[in-house]
Amino acid sequence: MKMDSFAEKTARDRARSLLDAGTFRELLDPFARLESPHLPVQEIVPQSDDGVVIARGKIGDKNALVLSLEGGFQGGSVGEVNGAKIAGALELALRDAREGKLIFPVLIFDTGGIRLQEANLGLLAISEIHSAIVALRKFVPVIGVIAGRVGCFGGMSIAAALCTFLIGSEVGRLGLNGPEVIEQEAGTDEFDAHDRVLIWQTLGCRRRLAMGQIDLLVDDSVDAIKEAIVTRINIGVTEKQHGMVQRTRDIAEQTQKIQNHSTPHLKPDAAMTGFSGRGRRWYNALTENAAENTAKNGSENAEGKSILAGDAQWGTETIRAMSVVPNPLSRFPRARQGQMGVEEGWGIARAIWGAIDSDNPPGKIKRAIVAIVDVPGQAFGLHEEQIGIHLALAAAVDAYIAARALGHPVVALIVGKAISGAFLAHGLQASEILALDDAAVEIHVMSEASVSRVTRRSLREVAALAQIAPSTARDVHSFAGLGGVNRLLKVHDANEPDTHSVEEVRNEILQAIQRARADAKSPRARLDSPAGRASRTMSREVRRMLESQWSMEP
Amino acid sequence: METLRFEFPGGRQFVRRRVQVGVVASGNLEVLLEPEFSPVSQVRVRTRVDGYREEWTAILRTFFERHDVAAAIEINDGGASPPIVLLRLEQALEESRR
Repeated sequence: MKMDSFAEKTARDRARSLLDAGTFRELLDPFARLESPHLPVQEIVPQSDDGVVIARGKIGDKNALVLSLEGGFQGGSVGEVNGAKIAGALELALRDAREGKLIFPVLIFDTGGIRLQEANLGLLAISEIHSAIVALRKFVPVIGVIAGRVGCFGGMSIAAALCTFLIGSEVGRLGLNGPEVIEQEAGTDEFDAHDRVLIWQTLGCRRRLAMGQIDLLVDDSVDAIKEAIVTRINIGVTEKQHGMVQRTRDIAEQTQKIQNHSTPHLKPDAAMTGFSGRGRRWYNALTENAAENTAKNGSENAEGKSILAGDAQWGTETIRAMSVVPNPLSRFPRARQGQMGVEEGWGIARAIWGAIDSDNPPGKIKRAIVAIVDVPGQAFGLHEEQIGIHLALAAAVDAYIAARALGHPVVALIVGKAISGAFLAHGLQASEILALDDAAVEIHVMSEASVSRVTRRSLREVAALAQIAPSTARDVHSFAGLGGVNRLLKVHDANEPDTHSVEEVRNEILQAIQRARADAKSPRARLDSPAGRASRTMSREVRRMLESQWSMEP
Repeated sequence: METLRFEFPGGRQFVRRRVQVGVVASGNLEVLLEPEFSPVSQVRVRTRVDGYREEWTAILRTFFERHDVAAAIEINDGGASPPIVLLRLEQALEESRR
């Protein structure tokens, strides 16, 4: 019998094929005309659904929500509109779940990650998707499917890892950085994007199953995928606990795996010039060298010194501060300059869970979690992908969201760079984001050189683009203009914190902690800030229209 | 990207329901077909490839010569060849009759 290929279908047909016959109802369909307004101004033809299909219907007689990304359109990339479609639908499913109306979400990933043309708008949307997935998991299993031609990469690979149950097909691939991106960022010596065997051995879903990073491998067949989903939903109906995903909680096991992984025996980078020291300096200044306490707390990565994590006492508040810093001795050369790599993702997760577990006894005050952010990006490397860097970053994201949900005030302070996947994993899940008002503070999703290569624009054109598309700008004011920053903090010297500046920043953090204690805001709240209201109009319009179509009976 | 607009008068059959087919992928396109209740069919094309107005005119004329329909059509084109464009238009019309 000939199999009905899932990969060959469009996003819409995939959603239709998974829903019981006659139950497919699309929300915000092509005639809602919610296309990206950001693409035509950049001379790119948009698509009427912006590459995401939202469908409600039944799967095996249970209420289901299918979110399906179209890999054929702009590589399935996530921008403002389609990101808001996914996040908004998950948020409504969450609202219903809290009212006792269970709806089973299925995400069909076929995506390269953030859409470079919508850069920071995509980044913000993905942080909202992460938050919604984890919140929904408490009520229903969130099922992910990786079975398309593009695969699942970038910030959406983190989303996939956060799912309760992850199904991959033989044609699916999963990783944080796709082969072309690694080749661009680190060269063909690091990863040859033409080497198909290497690609499949590293990123293929078959490999991911062997690594325990997906739950089930199926043929590229509609029937096989639907059967797997029905089975998992039925388990979900009887099970009441979905909140914990073991994948992102196996910290000890994963740390062991990382230690066992052999890496090239490279000499330590002798010169640390050009590496930012801001993360370390602000960490030390704010905590008065609390790093010395970390051994006692058991929260520091024993291997490297790329994570500073420790507790400080600020008046009545205990804070756990964390910073990812350059480490020239790292066994992972691609993570030596302060990038978020496998050790850093799991290390941050360990530091947060350490605080959560210490404060778990009833009556104990939940200490504040303060992320000091100076991360120049995620580590682009072969070894990182072999181990599963997407999972390491998902572990950090999961830990931040868990801390927030359990009542720990979570505040981020951007002192330097906050780039892409690294920022998703270290900062974006905070209830409040504070940032130094300084020219060297940068927030974006990819180096200008890489944006230039991927979008086939000259460096000058890339720089000029920021004028018409503020989401592609890199400065902190532009990011604040998107509602991404709660408070901009002027300091005398962002590079060398002086006593007065430190005192002011500490007071700002303390106030943010107080606000977060009163109201543990999720990333979704950034849309309601004055700047978010003014600039993220489509993110809001999508949600408004989605809500109006949500409950109509088919 | 170039935006082109066309009008084709004289179509007599109404489109029964609106449909969307295709994907804006490389070498592919998306067609949105809707009923048009005036006697003049309206077509808007947004195409990745600039400078092909005459070719689009020819393709669309062929379509409206073959089919006596009045329709509002939007095309989002990722650089499809003329046969693919015609195929998608025919597919959209076919589905609108189901």
